[in-house]
Amino acid sequence: MKNFFRKVAFGLGPDDKTPSDPLKWATNQLNDIPEFSWKGKILPEKELRKYYRDYVYGDRKVLRKKFKNDKDGYKREKNKLRHATGQKFWWNLELCIRYSEALKSETPVLAKLWYFWGNHFAISEKDFLAQYTTGAYQREIIRANMNQNFEKMAQEATIGWSMIHHLDNDQNVGPKSQEARWAREKGKTKGVNENHARELLELHTVSPDCGYTQEDIIQMAYIMSGWRPKWGKKRLETGDVHFNPDAHEPGTKIVLGKKYKNGRKSLSDAITDLVNHPSCRKFIAMKLCRYLITDNPTEEMMEPIIKAWEKSDGFLPEVHKAAIEVAFNYSDKYNKFQNPENWLLQMSKMADVDLIPSPSFMDLYKLGNKPIKDHRALERLMDELGQHPYLAKQPNGWSDISEDWMSPELLIRRLVYAREAYYKKSDKSQTTEYYEEMIEKNYDNPGEILKIIEQHRELVHKHVILFNLPETLKS
Amino acid sequence: MKISRRNFLKGSATTLFLAGFNFPVLANTDKKKNLVVIMLRGGMDGLCAVPIIGDKNFEKRRKDLILDETIKLNSDFALHPKLKNFHNLWQNDLGAIVHATNIPYTKRSHFDGQNLMETGGHIPYSIKTGWLGRGMKLAELKGDGLALALPMPLLLRGIPSNDNFYPSKKRLPRTELLQLLKSVYTDKSEHDLANMMEIIANRSMMNNGGTSMSRKNSSLAYKAGLELKKINGPRVAVFEVDGFDTHAAQGGVDGSHSDSLIEMDSIFKSLEKGLGSEIENTLVLTLTEFGRTIKQNGGRGTEHGYGSAIFMAGGLLKKSQVYTDWPGLKRKELFEGRDLNSTIDARSVYASAMSSVFDIDFKRIQKEVFWGDELINLSDKLFKS
Repeated sequence: MKNFFRKVAFGLGPDDKTPSDPLKWATNQLNDIPEFSWKGKILPEKELRKYYRDYVYGDRKVLRKKFKNDKDGYKREKNKLRHATGQKFWWNLELCIRYSEALKSETPVLAKLWYFWGNHFAISEKDFLAQYTTGAYQREIIRANMNQNFEKMAQEATIGWSMIHHLDNDQNVGPKSQEARWAREKGKTKGVNENHARELLELHTVSPDCGYTQEDIIQMAYIMSGWRPKWGKKRLETGDVHFNPDAHEPGTKIVLGKKYKNGRKSLSDAITDLVNHPSCRKFIAMKLCRYLITDNPTEEMMEPIIKAWEKSDGFLPEVHKAAIEVAFNYSDKYNKFQNPENWLLQMSKMADVDLIPSPSFMDLYKLGNKPIKDHRALERLMDELGQHPYLAKQPNGWSDISEDWMSPELLIRRLVYAREAYYKKSDKSQTTEYYEEMIEKNYDNPGEILKIIEQHRELVHKHVILFNLPETLKS
Repeated sequence: MKISRRNFLKGSATTLFLAGFNFPVLANTDKKKNLVVIMLRGGMDGLCAVPIIGDKNFEKRRKDLILDETIKLNSDFALHPKLKNFHNLWQNDLGAIVHATNIPYTKRSHFDGQNLMETGGHIPYSIKTGWLGRGMKLAELKGDGLALALPMPLLLRGIPSNDNFYPSKKRLPRTELLQLLKSVYTDKSEHDLANMMEIIANRSMMNNGGTSMSRKNSSLAYKAGLELKKINGPRVAVFEVDGFDTHAAQGGVDGSHSDSLIEMDSIFKSLEKGLGSEIENTLVLTLTEFGRTIKQNGGRGTEHGYGSAIFMAGGLLKKSQVYTDWPGLKRKELFEGRDLNSTIDARSVYASAMSSVFDIDFKRIQKEVFWGDELINLSDKLFKS
């Protein structure tokens, strides 16, 4: 039962009292989206995108031309440009904001689900999105919609600047559109790019289980043609996303048997139909169970979540509550292998590790300077653990399957970074009594665990063992 | 009772496990032979890497992406000019290509495609092991696999105790602590974790002077070469190269597709350096989920396609050659009117390679690794016996 606190959140920290009604404690966190707990600077996505623009424009349009015969000069000036636009700083600030929600907020359950959705509508490694805008996208489009219907999140994520750029919809031009015709007159070719359309179906909504065909994907791509950033000579591809009718494929389209009229509205109509398709709620229910409970969810687990979805029209707080309740009911029977990020946060919370730099320290950073090592600690740590949340390898995000995290190198990382973390603990938490109390509070078999860790004398070794026991790796 | 394809595959995969793998290995030769697989993620453009010479259909369809100064391999095919290391191998009969080939997957999704290129199956996500892992299991190569990547690739699953190497700069905890964890894992029947801890405790690689190592593929490949060279070292290594998904700005000689090809090329070079003379007893193969459309798209990139090419290197190759049953590039010759067709099931190449390197009868691999699918034994044509 106590592993429930670790399963749906990150365990109980030194200041947390054991809730008398654990389920209520968890579900009460899901109704509203509170302000961020991070007390330092938080920049809007639009502003961060301007830094991205300054970098891209400066590099592509200025430096490459100016230094075309001077490789070293180019390298030097490009580094200056990186720092002038905060390329090595912003994503560290975003990680501070992200992890404060797990460790310092009153709503760690909401935080764990936020990470789930950020990974569901993943922006994977592409260009410099991670360094500038992915964190902000996850704040403004993912988290901000966690008290809305799934549809709203899907609509906004789909036409979010990050997603459009990430999945190349800015390259998607209807082959019979005005723009394609102009291109042909100039002897050029412009045409459809299926990437975003495919992922919208496959990863974000109905999944391949619904049985769509290649033709459905092409038709969906036609519907999406024309949705792209407003292009400008100075802002290049970083303008706001809008619908450009010149690039839109004319005519009626058919996706999964439904007809859509030509034009701007067809995309949101199609998304409405996709999110209401039975395969979509089943897919999301399966993924929630897989994230929280087990690699192989059963129909019985998924059913209450699907029901809650149907009853509430995909209202996320209700879907989340149903998922948490299922996790509660299966809490004793199933343990879920925790991915590196959730494992790190669990350890930091329970052992009182000072993981996140302070807001005042982060705000000391001055644009134009090279960030010092401590400003970049989180980015480096996540990379080392093998799961930087903004650098998933593919648009399907980081894996939820335990096997994918089971390898010597990944377990070595847990050993060495458990040790590193120990030295970032407060003095008051570096006592045997602290550990006894924490284990009592967070584990169902405290006696057995204490017996194991007592075999080593030094506290740092006890710490490393505890956070690599099966009971911790799987919650 | 009618058995659906999915059930059939599931059923035979189960049988595979239950049957066990206790057959003796057919022929055991003295020398240790190595197999290296480089996964090219994102869809490698076989026509960019190994373009056809003088085909009007090709030149017309991707006029902005045609490469200058390619290296001529034979009268029909050329090589991407940046693949200098591969070209050196080629000149020494240590490099060859299979063209117009792919796994039998035609739906153009990266995730499904990459799943299938690693499992070797037909239905995405229905098989949980990799073809290389199953082949190793058949050859009883437990503990002989090495992945040069942080997560363990699906390709190697199916046999326990594989190693991976992607160096950390920090020191491991003391041995007693590792032993304690291992015994706890064993007591709690956490066999996977116990296996991992065994590997970690025995790891010798970590202690090479404690110097921090680069994680670039070129550096990892040198390290892997040194390990493969050892008589008691691993026999199988797996690399990953990302970035082949060039929907936009694929570019010419200096474009983004070239960057990924150059990374692949650096693996050939460093492996050769690390292996030294043992390159003679090694076979290197590439693997990708699909090729790319012949026609360039609106963003001077290419879309997901079908047929691609396999790069092969090492002394176990018969000779330098472009082995292909060329389907042609006229519209009616293309797959669905848009992609280079695949006339050779890439799994025939991989099954033949495992047969040659692991010394196992081709038919057994066909039956037990690839469920008796219709594959052709190409061992005599491509590899030394």
